[in-house]
Amino acid sequence: MRSMNWGTTKTFFTAGTLAVALLAFAGGAADRVNAAGKHGAGGHHGAAAAIGKPGKASKVTRTIVVTMRDNFYEPESISVKPGETIRFKITNKGEFLHEFGLGTAAMHAAHQKEMLVMMEHGMIEADRINHERMKMDHGDGMKMSHDDPNSILLEPGKSGEIIWTFSKRAKLEFACNIPGHYESGMMGEIKFR
Amino acid sequence: MTGNLRQCAGAIAMGFCLALGVTSMATAGQYNLEIAKTAINVAGERQTAMTFNGTVPGPVLRFKEGEEITINVTNRLDEDTSIHWHGLILPYQQDGVPGISFPGIKPGATFTYTFPAQQSGTYWYHSHSGLQEPVGMYGAIIIEPKKREPFRYDKEYVVVLSDWHKDSPQTILANLKKSSDYYNYQRRTVGTFFEDIGKMGLGAALSDRMDWGDMRMVPSDIADVSGYTFLMNGRNPDQNWTGLFKPGERIRLRFINASAMSYFDVRIPGLRLTMVQADGNNVRPVTVDEFRIAVAETYDVIVRPKEEKAYTVFAEAMARTGHARGTLAPRPGMKGAVPGPRPSQYLTMADMAGHAGHGGHGSMDHGAMKHGADGMPAGTHKMPDGTVMKGMDHSAHGGMAEGSHKMPDGTVMKGMDHSGHGMGAAKKADPFYAAGSGLTPKAANGGKFLSYADLKAFRPLYPHRKARREIVVRLTGNMERYVWTINGEKYSDAEPIYLKYGERVRFKFINTTMMTHPMHLHGMWQILDNGSGKYNPAKHTISIAPGTTVEADIEADAMGQWAFHCHLTFHMASGMFRKVVVKRELAERSR
Amino acid sequence: MRMPCLLRRAGVMAAVLLIVPALSGAAELDDKIYTFFQVEQLEYRMGDGTDVVAWDVNAWIGNDDHRIAFKSEGENPVNEELEAAEFQLLYRRPVSEFFDINAGVRHDIRPDPDRTYGVIGVEGLAVQFVEMDANLFVSEIGAVSLRFEAEKDFLLTQKLILQPLLEVNVAFTKDTAIGSGAGVNDLELGLRLRYEFWRKLAPYVGVHWERKFGATASFARDEGESTDNVYFVSGLKFWF
Repeated sequence: MRSMNWGTTKTFFTAGTLAVALLAFAGGAADRVNAAGKHGAGGHHGAAAAIGKPGKASKVTRTIVVTMRDNFYEPESISVKPGETIRFKITNKGEFLHEFGLGTAAMHAAHQKEMLVMMEHGMIEADRINHERMKMDHGDGMKMSHDDPNSILLEPGKSGEIIWTFSKRAKLEFACNIPGHYESGMMGEIKFR
Repeated sequence: MTGNLRQCAGAIAMGFCLALGVTSMATAGQYNLEIAKTAINVAGERQTAMTFNGTVPGPVLRFKEGEEITINVTNRLDEDTSIHWHGLILPYQQDGVPGISFPGIKPGATFTYTFPAQQSGTYWYHSHSGLQEPVGMYGAIIIEPKKREPFRYDKEYVVVLSDWHKDSPQTILANLKKSSDYYNYQRRTVGTFFEDIGKMGLGAALSDRMDWGDMRMVPSDIADVSGYTFLMNGRNPDQNWTGLFKPGERIRLRFINASAMSYFDVRIPGLRLTMVQADGNNVRPVTVDEFRIAVAETYDVIVRPKEEKAYTVFAEAMARTGHARGTLAPRPGMKGAVPGPRPSQYLTMADMAGHAGHGGHGSMDHGAMKHGADGMPAGTHKMPDGTVMKGMDHSAHGGMAEGSHKMPDGTVMKGMDHSGHGMGAAKKADPFYAAGSGLTPKAANGGKFLSYADLKAFRPLYPHRKARREIVVRLTGNMERYVWTINGEKYSDAEPIYLKYGERVRFKFINTTMMTHPMHLHGMWQILDNGSGKYNPAKHTISIAPGTTVEADIEADAMGQWAFHCHLTFHMASGMFRKVVVKRELAERSR
Repeated sequence: MRMPCLLRRAGVMAAVLLIVPALSGAAELDDKIYTFFQVEQLEYRMGDGTDVVAWDVNAWIGNDDHRIAFKSEGENPVNEELEAAEFQLLYRRPVSEFFDINAGVRHDIRPDPDRTYGVIGVEGLAVQFVEMDANLFVSEIGAVSLRFEAEKDFLLTQKLILQPLLEVNVAFTKDTAIGSGAGVNDLELGLRLRYEFWRKLAPYVGVHWERKFGATASFARDEGESTDNVYFVSGLKFWF
């Protein structure tokens, strides 16, 4: 862990969880695991605030259906109004693992680095989440993807949803940060009307 | 619509093409190509080229998957000619190899090629007669897929890399036959000897010289031929081919290496390259800083320049004898900084691992290695077999430079001990180069350099199954005599390789030479075993580095007779070539 | 004496013309016939005694496996009669990665009387990039002799090349008529520095030392010749 300071990685993604998994995999020290875990529970900070917040089901005014394929989204862009709460119903109809995440370009870029490391360490594979590797945990079974309200990682054939309340106008993207996917175009703009 | 598409040579607004392209029926794509001698301007000099419709490279031929292709080729030369559709799956009679597929096209005659477009992606075409290809007879083929592609882009450019020599190919081959180091102006001199003494001490420098001298080989022989002007879309570095973009656009670059003899290390300083296709087949996207393109390979990359500035597309010859250069810019006439040359590369004893020593004609079986223990870089002690990972270097700690160390896949990981390294896992040496090879690529910015190990088929073309048998393809040769061979025999002396229709065979390439050979099989895919199992990528051209063994499976699903050869022009022309015959039944002896 | 020489050359050409079509059975690109002609040395030697013009020429025609080779070397003291001139016509074939065998005939029109020999030899690139050529000659009168030549290029730069050279002639049988004793006849050492303006064209300067031994030296002394000569040489190497 010398060279990577996960505790301070600024990302919407639950950095602590990732660190836990990585540390567990790398056989890292237990005290670091706990520290990082706590940090992760602290939720979003920094740039994350601008993107909005998890929404309540009762506030949902609109549902947007997103289909994830290899390697692109349908639709390719999404329009929202500031303050709007949207239910994203997401289905992975591809053969590969895909993510639907909301964030700024910089947040996605940071997340891509993490996803690359996870891929390299076998926690995620091209078409599945390696729960064994992901789980190498510290007791509470915390998993990487699903306690992040702004992101969902879906295996082929799986569906899920995100309810999100957008705040003000911001330059946001929805994106799949699995290595190579964002770069080859699996991302779209969130347009504020 | 087809007519419109035909005119989109070079840049195409892809959204447009895609939108129109999704509903496809069996249309017909037709081209007329005329082959003639034409004066072209290379490096400020008028030179005579052989051209398709008057340009170098020839026009971009654009088709749609599923349509019937018709190409009328008229020969206005005073010698026979031909066109081979490199990488296309087609009936063998349409493959364009004189003496194997058809008799060739006589002067004044028109030959009509017809075949269906069964695939999609970036390919190319070139003459397969005599030594015509290097003097301008090459061009790009684009086949648009029926289905939406697994990536997205706003613009696309074809980037054809090639090498132009002022000496005719006939002269070059004759010079090499008479004096094999004719074009090597990077030979070691008395001066470099003293430099080496300074670096490694007298004993080591002497011992190194003795080792190379014992083999009578030259470590600077990486390309056989120097003196090339490298071209990008037919333009030399000063003529600066330029592709335009709007900041934030995704640009698909379709790289094709149409060189006679030159490999390139390609980078665009300031941009990361997302590899989406190799040899026309989609691969799982992998983002790199630089990649090496072997002669005859194609790679499609997506880049996303975000700044309002010029980016240099820099393709440096692997032998470091020069570069091809172009520019991606928001406006015409802009220029980016052109990187300086990197130092010459030299082969090491590791690259010679497969060399047979004094075996002589044909008897290359005793891979006797000679090692100068003193003058060698660390880690070169092992006879490398491209597939073995034992020589991994775990010593580097350092930070996780962006994507710079691809860990081997899960299975290999198990044996690794990470305890001493934290997450700064070691940079893995590219398993497709001999451990300690002088050719092992390194990204100029210290980042990620594409390896064959990174190429994973997006959707496998064939169900994964075990090959029924293995055919050893020993890449052999005699640099001194400039005779290049397969299993010790040149084409004119050798029997064809027979495959049984429907079988899956494994070609085991063992490179015993000091050269890197891009081996191209016509008519059938070579499924490169890079450890990805059912996701092993299908390629038409596989580069095999010195001292390595590389395996690839072939599904023998194309009846007829096909060419199989090293795509370095002068290796092919001096014998590194075979006929591969696919038959319903094999005679007992040829199994 | 010029006429027989020309006739012989015509003979060589005829032989080549006869053999070449036989070589070219397959028309494959990898089986092409090439021709090579090299003037390895064409030089002016300046020493204490008479200056000498010397040549060393070799040529071949053929494909990778079969070649007809021609060699000639000789010396002509300035303003004097031709002193030595030999011509060889050989069939050449590779026997290993780096070596060829040569077999054929040699004819010397000088020294007088002329002599014809059968030749068998090995030439090629030995370890450490030493070019070597070893030949056994049996003359028409049954005299057996051996010649060994070796040279190596040292690259001072990519174009400036220093080449030491050694030649030794050994006779197993004396041939008094042409001034050859039994034993080591002579030894030549040379050091030439050439500049390859172009791979195919290189002027050079250097030194050439030759010495005769034993009975051969005695014969030379009897003829009033020197047996130990050092020359400063300047010349031209070229090939095509």
